Amino acid sequence: MLAYTVRRVLAMIPLIVAIATITFVLMHAVEGGPFDSDKPLPPATLENLKKRYGLDDPLPVQYLNYLKNLAQFDFGISIANNRNITDIIRERMGVSIQLGIATFLFATVLGLGLGIFSSLNQNGIGDYAGVFIATIGAAMPSIVLAPILTIVFAVKLGWFNVLSSDYGFTDWFRGDFSNWRQVVLPTVALGFLPMAFIARITRASMLEVLRQDYVRTARAKGLAEFAVVIRHAARNAMIPVLTVLGPIFAGLITGSLVIETLFAIPGLGREFVRSVLIRDYGLIMGVTVFYAVVIAFMNLVVDLLYGFADPRIRY
Amino acid sequence: MAATDQPIAQPYDFLEQQFHTKQRGLWAQAWQRLLRNRLAVAAGVILLVILTVSLAADFSRTVQRYDPTVPDFQATEQNPSRDHWLGTDTLGRDLWARLLQGTLFSLKIGLGTQVIVLLIGVTIGMAAALAGRYSDTILMWLTDLAYAFPDLLAIILLRQVLLGRDWPIIGEGDPQIPGFNGVLLVTVIAISFVSWTTVARLVRGQMLSIKEQDYVAAARAMGASPWRVVRVHMLPNTLSAVIVSATFGIPLAIFAEATLGFIGLGVPPPNASLGSLIGSGLDSIQVHPVQLIWPTLMVATLMLCFTFLGDGLRDALDPRTRH
Repeated sequence: MLAYTVRRVLAMIPLIVAIATITFVLMHAVEGGPFDSDKPLPPATLENLKKRYGLDDPLPVQYLNYLKNLAQFDFGISIANNRNITDIIRERMGVSIQLGIATFLFATVLGLGLGIFSSLNQNGIGDYAGVFIATIGAAMPSIVLAPILTIVFAVKLGWFNVLSSDYGFTDWFRGDFSNWRQVVLPTVALGFLPMAFIARITRASMLEVLRQDYVRTARAKGLAEFAVVIRHAARNAMIPVLTVLGPIFAGLITGSLVIETLFAIPGLGREFVRSVLIRDYGLIMGVTVFYAVVIAFMNLVVDLLYGFADPRIRY
Repeated sequence: MAATDQPIAQPYDFLEQQFHTKQRGLWAQAWQRLLRNRLAVAAGVILLVILTVSLAADFSRTVQRYDPTVPDFQATEQNPSRDHWLGTDTLGRDLWARLLQGTLFSLKIGLGTQVIVLLIGVTIGMAAALAGRYSDTILMWLTDLAYAFPDLLAIILLRQVLLGRDWPIIGEGDPQIPGFNGVLLVTVIAISFVSWTTVARLVRGQMLSIKEQDYVAAARAMGASPWRVVRVHMLPNTLSAVIVSATFGIPLAIFAEATLGFIGLGVPPPNASLGSLIGSGLDSIQVHPVQLIWPTLMVATLMLCFTFLGDGLRDALDPRTRH
């Protein structure tokens, strides 16, 4: 187990270096630099600016410096607001993590619940309702769902205030949930697609498991239905669900770019979109590499969890 | 006398006599199964209608009465009327015309992406499965790398890199492939470069298992050249899985484009894509929500229809799920 974990972590390193390299090459192939403006800068100013951000070195030197700094988790300085990129990421991350946790809980809890509920009422009204929601979810990506939710719940009904320009970030870990009215709609919009996905997989694998002999045995020895479903069936049905958690997590990160822009949430995703539009090289590279590391790490966690859920798997 | 003229026994003509009953091959059977799936048929018909109408928009005044890019400041932010079927936007442009333009753009993105994805994916998947251990290792590492790259980030970066330079076919000026202008091609290429991994893995897996099948061994034993074995015996057997994967890939590509358009990285302003329509609709959500509803509904319809069609195709083509 430990050996496997170490091996996986080590295997992540060339992958991350490769991603960093590709990002570097792509960024420097982009037409136009960060100092482009309608009024051309005086050459001397441009020279100084380039020196300040290390853009006057030859490309290979820039690349090596970049990799060297990366190894120390130093992403350099943002050109747009002259701040340390590591600080920016650290600062913005909190908001994104908050949204991520809320969405993840929403998607897994509701998805599992809906899937189990559907499977227990197979071909009944409840099942059709569950499958219907799951199918609608597949056609409602965040970009479609978010406007609809906003029109209905924020504009027409006025239940949630997502349209106010300042998103209030409060630290949930200190027990301050006063911004929940602003979190609900983004969470639903971002989490609906993964929720539907999880529900569909849970339903399929529950139907498979419920037919097994050990479930019949559990029922025959007179266990309560709840214990049969949760302890005997659902635990085993979880295994296929676990395998898709990795991709779902990656999808959440990508989705947060849109949702954060849409709901004006000052998280890392919105920061990335902004940095692309103004060609802030350092920030773009920093965020991309950071996301790649997070996704690779989450995939590792999911693979390890897989071993806990299914003891037959040994590493 | 006459009897001697006739040969004693006619050679039995199998081809003429026996097997001239109605043949139903794999594809005909799959087609029948697909037709029996009402949901998939309905989705297919709706998609065909949408495609036809949006294609016809540029040619017929009956379909599209206004130019999608021409503003009319006498008629801004109108609600649906007999004149403007879906109303007008903030600049008085006809929303029906803009919706059709955006839909056509999205469909081109979806279909164009799958063409490139299939080309890259099938080639790499085949090369990985058939060209030896080293090429397998290298190509699969590349695939893992492309998979690990955060999708939307890669698309945005590639798009920025490719835009605004004078590439051979993409070009800057007039479209060299009719109907496919530079921005569209760049977007198609950018989306393709992150989505080929699924097809590559799929094809590799299929090829690896087909390679061990008896009919491939038989073909080789009869002296078929490797190329012939691949072309005649192996490729057609991966086709059904590839078609299904491509169908599911279309809504994903449409969604990716809509996302780009929404955050302002879509087509340049006078033109419309579904994403940019949603984006500009969101800006005027408080004063004129109609503007937001149409493109949102269209994206949902497209995604739903392609998903249903994909489900139907999978049931029809995949032998394992046959009932």
